[in-house]
Amino acid sequence: MSTLAFSLTFLLMILLMLLGLPIAVSMVLVGAGAGVIVFGVPFLSTTGAMLWGVLNDNLLTAAPLFILLGELLLRSGMADRMYGAMAAWLSRLPGGLLHTNIACCALFAATSGSSVATAATIGTVALPSLHQRKYPMPQALGTLAAGGTLGILIPPSINMIVYGSLTENSIGKLFIAGVIPGLLLTGLFMLFVLINSSLKGNVPREVLPPLAERLRLTVHLIPPIVIFGIVMGSLYTGVATATESAALGVVVALFFAWRAKRLSWSMLETCFLQTARTTGMIMLILAAAFVLNLLISLSGVAETMTKAVTALGPSATAMLLVLILFYLALGMFMDVMSMLVATVPITYPIVTALGVDPIWFGIFIILMCELALITPPVGMNLFVVQGVRPDRGGIGDVISGSLPFVAIMMAFTLLLMVFPAIVTWLPGKM
Amino acid sequence: MKRQLERLLANLFGLVFLGLSFLVTIETLLRKAFNFSLQGAAELGGYALAVGSAIGFALAITSRSHIRVDVFHERFPRALQAFMNWLSAVSLGALGLFLVGVCWRVVVKTLEYGSSAQTPWATPLIYPQSVWYAALVAFAIYAVIHAGHASRLYFTGQREALLVEFHPKSAKEELKEELDDLAHRTEAGARVQA
Repeated sequence: MSTLAFSLTFLLMILLMLLGLPIAVSMVLVGAGAGVIVFGVPFLSTTGAMLWGVLNDNLLTAAPLFILLGELLLRSGMADRMYGAMAAWLSRLPGGLLHTNIACCALFAATSGSSVATAATIGTVALPSLHQRKYPMPQALGTLAAGGTLGILIPPSINMIVYGSLTENSIGKLFIAGVIPGLLLTGLFMLFVLINSSLKGNVPREVLPPLAERLRLTVHLIPPIVIFGIVMGSLYTGVATATESAALGVVVALFFAWRAKRLSWSMLETCFLQTARTTGMIMLILAAAFVLNLLISLSGVAETMTKAVTALGPSATAMLLVLILFYLALGMFMDVMSMLVATVPITYPIVTALGVDPIWFGIFIILMCELALITPPVGMNLFVVQGVRPDRGGIGDVISGSLPFVAIMMAFTLLLMVFPAIVTWLPGKM
Repeated sequence: MKRQLERLLANLFGLVFLGLSFLVTIETLLRKAFNFSLQGAAELGGYALAVGSAIGFALAITSRSHIRVDVFHERFPRALQAFMNWLSAVSLGALGLFLVGVCWRVVVKTLEYGSSAQTPWATPLIYPQSVWYAALVAFAIYAVIHAGHASRLYFTGQREALLVEFHPKSAKEELKEELDDLAHRTEAGARVQA
């Protein structure tokens, strides 16, 4: 298959997606269609065998288990009380509750795995009081929208599982690789709020509650932190695989829900249904991406494209800069998971041929997904945060409030390019 | 009836993964503490995923969770929106049939060669694959019925219903669901405190 033919096929797929056909259908239609044209009917029998291989891959069982874990933490209400606990410690900083917004969104999104649930919960808790205390609305909305994106960088992250599966990289290593960048980016967001508030001098600080009160509230942070510790600790020390660490997390989450008297059959039923739906959605897209992947690997188009690109002689840096623009543009119109599965089978071989570390590239892709969540016109988090604000401002406030964070993420991506060890050091120690 | 069936499937899905979590936890602890392995948790995990995914494919249809890009769709004329909604439903039905078609060869080959899993248990693959295949067939039937419903609306000129029932899920709708659940949780939390 020539590069031109493949490029047209790829463009056709993107077109079908943008027209509004289901993402999975667009990928299977184009992947299997082109496969049959190039290789004839045997392509389909290979497809069947490949599908069984993917759907029955125990490494991917981590996906439904982590989704279930997130649902349990979310639906049992355990994550809801984190805001008060975080506020007790962080709101003394200049910028007050804005720091709580960021830290809490980061923790909530990382544990629940859903940026919509994060914005809904934290937004509902935080925005009325921020509004009442006369915090500048654009900034308040921006911290919520940007904070919610941190969840896919801080493990456990379903997007990383999908990347790991598509590129045959260790999910455990990807999770561990996300820790330092996740914390660092959260820190940078907070640093921005601190500097910005200090410069403007108009943002109120909050009064620190007495120590006893702070400690009492901190109890609510124990379940998410213990679960995070067990999941990441067992992965890092090699005690458990990603799937096993997810299973451990689920069992511990059940225990905490039971302790908090929130374990009920109706709560479990909600978790089950949501987990089944999200799993179905992700696995269908992933299976479809593997059909596309099969076409790419059988037709040798990845090698052809890689040769064509390397013949042009770009440095890895130049290629990554081009990819940043590419993903920024694509992210403006496409949903994050779809963008990831549709592009990685092509960009991954090219970039790794140029010498980029596979795990590093995974974190890079996740950052591009994060950006896509808050870049207009379809940045999902922008709309979700807009949907929970108590006053009647326009979406422009959310966009303008998020822009500084977009800039920080871009700068952070460049920082990772200059110092790749920020990503690769910790997984290298495993 | 439909809702009850979905509930049944979702609970089956959930209990399988909950059970799997306990099994994997026990296996991991035994391995770490006593260097003793039950062997098979990983294999069962794979089968659970295969069957669970197919159930998930079906359940995601009703909630319109199968992702569609809606940024341009929103700006289409209503007639075109209705057409795309119909086409999407039909395409999911076709996808279901496609999966059933290509995976049939997998099951047939397994029967022909009498294949078994490359694991300590050496499970004859036909057992898990039959369950998996049955779940795929169920998904296909589900998707085809869904497509049939969309087609009936489309060809009887019930465009409005098509626009409401088959619209790509927007961020606003997802948010509403989450806000409802939050209200529900807050209530439950207050009950526990009291």
